[in-house]
Amino acid sequence: MILPRFDVLVPESLEEALEMLGEHADKGVRILAGGTDLLVDLRRPIIPVHVPRCDGCAKHPGGMVYSTIDCELWLSEPTAHAGGSLRNALQDSRRISPQYLISLHLLRELKGIKRLDNGSLYIGATTTIREIAHSEKVRRCWTALAEGADNLGSPLVRNRGTLGGNIANARPAADMFVPTIGLNGILKLQSLGGERLLPARDFASGPGLTVIEPLEILTAVIYPAPLSYSGSSYYKLANRKALEISTVGVSVSLTLEAPDGPITDVRVALGAVGPTPILAESAKGILLGETPDEPLFKKAAQAIRKDARPIDDHRGSAWYRSNMVQLLSERLLKIAYIRAKRNK
Amino acid sequence: MKKLISLNVNGIAHELAVEPRRTLLELLREDLGLTGTKKGCGIGDCGACTVLVDGVATFSCLTLAIQVNGCSVETVEGLTKDGKLSRLQQAFVDHGAIQCGYCTPGMLMTTTELLRRNQHPKEQEIRKAISGNLCRCTGYQKIVEAIQEVARSENEEI
Repeated sequence: MILPRFDVLVPESLEEALEMLGEHADKGVRILAGGTDLLVDLRRPIIPVHVPRCDGCAKHPGGMVYSTIDCELWLSEPTAHAGGSLRNALQDSRRISPQYLISLHLLRELKGIKRLDNGSLYIGATTTIREIAHSEKVRRCWTALAEGADNLGSPLVRNRGTLGGNIANARPAADMFVPTIGLNGILKLQSLGGERLLPARDFASGPGLTVIEPLEILTAVIYPAPLSYSGSSYYKLANRKALEISTVGVSVSLTLEAPDGPITDVRVALGAVGPTPILAESAKGILLGETPDEPLFKKAAQAIRKDARPIDDHRGSAWYRSNMVQLLSERLLKIAYIRAKRNK
Repeated sequence: MKKLISLNVNGIAHELAVEPRRTLLELLREDLGLTGTKKGCGIGDCGACTVLVDGVATFSCLTLAIQVNGCSVETVEGLTKDGKLSRLQQAFVDHGAIQCGYCTPGMLMTTTELLRRNQHPKEQEIRKAISGNLCRCTGYQKIVEAIQEVARSENEEI
């Protein structure tokens, strides 16, 4: 499993990175941050494409074409009658197997965790998961995010993997993406034309698909300042404690008017139970304005369960996932409530 | 097109021309002949290829050589000083924490980082720290015991 051929561009400023992105956009280009997802994806046999057998041409018995290099070799043969299918295959594989990677590792402005003057939290896109897990700031006020960071991949994945990478890959189970939606994170998307701010909940459009424009780079995530009496929590349910993709992930953020309620804001985000992370809207209708207690949380959890759209797969059945959404939502509402009461 | 990078490996400065797709693992094993670092899965699951980059345990199979330009890299070869095993390496030998030995270089590097950060880790902290390094022989118990021996001692050397 050797990496396919590509060139790596190493910009020294964000502006240079954006220029490179524009320059090579038509040749297949990907942004490289930690590499824990991208370099794995590039190693996979790249979209196998079936090329039909070509009569009267012994050299091309037909079969599966796995990589750009294979396609180029085949196409270079003058007798390649199956050229049409091959050319399509080449185009497909170029989309997956880029010619250029733009590595962001020199861009210091994309690294780091800081508190803005208005109290919100600013995390640069190439900040590693490890730095987030070790940050006392994050753990104190944006606990759900710290709990996502604690449980992502393995220590080695956390050492390299980045917040921006986890979000931009937009996997429905992503352990940073789900709490980011739960905490109402705002994504900063930069292009040469300027920047735009997009709520994280509007970012994913399908598994691995996002609304990011081809010439944009995700540069930071901004988490709004927590109000008094607010708390959050995230739980990753998985078969193992490390090196695992969640079966269900639930993130809850809760804000109270006073230590005993009523509830003034609540956000419940669900992971791995739909094509994208889901913001459970029904939680709001039941919880807002109410005084928190166990029967209320139970009722809310039953409603949240209906917002999940899980499927059966090897990690768990849809039935199991629905049950776990309900159970975890109830449990995490309680935990977030206990934390909210304490945070003046 | 090859690109020129410079890096420090186990205290020795190197300047090399590398292909952009060359991984740090390939650079260490094939260009520098440091075959102590192992290739396992190649996709960041097993931890056999772990080295320290600027002191941080890193998958060398998922790190491009270009990305460590200017960095300082430590491999298992760097743990041995003047032909003498480090205390951690000796503890692995004494406790039978090595069977086939394939995971050992990665385990040693991950654990070296842990012990530098936290001189006296508890058992749970040790188990969490090595949770990204897979071993199919020992069942981890002997590895944990070897690390605990070093963690118990007051000697600051690892």
